[in-house]
Amino acid sequence: MKAEQNKTFVSLSNLQAISRGDPNRMLKYLNQFKELIPERLEQLKHALSKEDRKNIRQIVHKMSPQLQFFGIQDIIIPIQRLEFEYETIPYFELESIINDIIYKLEGAMSEVSKIIKTQFE
Amino acid sequence: MSKPTTISNSIKSVIIDDDPFIQDLLIDKLNQYFPEIEVLGVGNNGKEGILKIQSLQPDLVFLDVEMNDMTGFEMLSKLEGIHFKTIFITSYKHYAIKAIRFNALDYLLKPFDLEELKNAIKRFKKNHSKDNVPLALSNLKTKNISEQILVLKTQQGELHLQLKNIIIIEGDRNYSYIHLTNNKKELVSKTLSNIEDLLEGKGFFRCHKSYIVKKSHITSYKNSSSILLSNGSIVPISRRKKDVFKDWYENN
Repeated sequence: MKAEQNKTFVSLSNLQAISRGDPNRMLKYLNQFKELIPERLEQLKHALSKEDRKNIRQIVHKMSPQLQFFGIQDIIIPIQRLEFEYETIPYFELESIINDIIYKLEGAMSEVSKIIKTQFE
Repeated sequence: MSKPTTISNSIKSVIIDDDPFIQDLLIDKLNQYFPEIEVLGVGNNGKEGILKIQSLQPDLVFLDVEMNDMTGFEMLSKLEGIHFKTIFITSYKHYAIKAIRFNALDYLLKPFDLEELKNAIKRFKKNHSKDNVPLALSNLKTKNISEQILVLKTQQGELHLQLKNIIIIEGDRNYSYIHLTNNKKELVSKTLSNIEDLLEGKGFFRCHKSYIVKKSHITSYKNSSSILLSNGSIVPISRRKKDVFKDWYENN
């Protein structure tokens, strides 16, 4: 459990490459992550509660590039699975995958918040 | 010393995508690596995209395949004329990639690999007057699949092949021979597996490691180990494909 708590979810290498050392640009992408992901997680939770599989596919499809950019590799494969098997995947499995995605993204968000606080404020 | 870019030789572009992250990322990459590309505006959905295109008259449009109000193809079909080149932008293995590849359209995978972006821009500069979007829209509208036109890039340019004219595709390592009606034959530098992917769900079947056949050209398969085609050719059915072939032939 402790190892999981210390786990790093986010990789900043793509962000550093696109920012070319410009702190404002870096901050722009970090803030955008902090704003967009919670919004999409709420949409995901709502879609799951309604068992709206098509909407689940659309939400994860939309999130996927930003998660790749932030190097959150752990959830790329489950997200791709949801994108392609959203109609057929058993509900209990769908729920378990989404809960895992939510857990990891909440971890990633707290990491991003910490980076903003320690490096930009 | 490189020639400075001026407004007169700049490429006017518009980005249409409903994800602010993708908009920013593409603008930053274009600004950093392609100063000759001027982003005139951004559309946050299909409806806004149409307005931006009409008012800004871009040379190049980066267009998301799936937006919250419509798909990229739907947006394009609503325009009165298409006087720009489109580079579609999509996530990994989106189902629209099938239509994009079938029509040999240009596309980029989000979140944009720099090399892929460079190649797409290079292709745009080399061939910006040619665009298969009108053909793609016509293919999407065509209900009779056999009337659709497959676009294959070749060294000389492009081959446009109406599906109903394709009888057999014969694989030969990295190349394929396409046998057409009227005894014509075309050679393309694509593997048989590549072509099999492009033709999925279009009335074709890979009956053997070296052959794909078109159902409407099958004359008979009486002895269940070979197929007779409308041009008189006989192609084998591999042993492990016999049952699947029979099922496909009888039920499609």
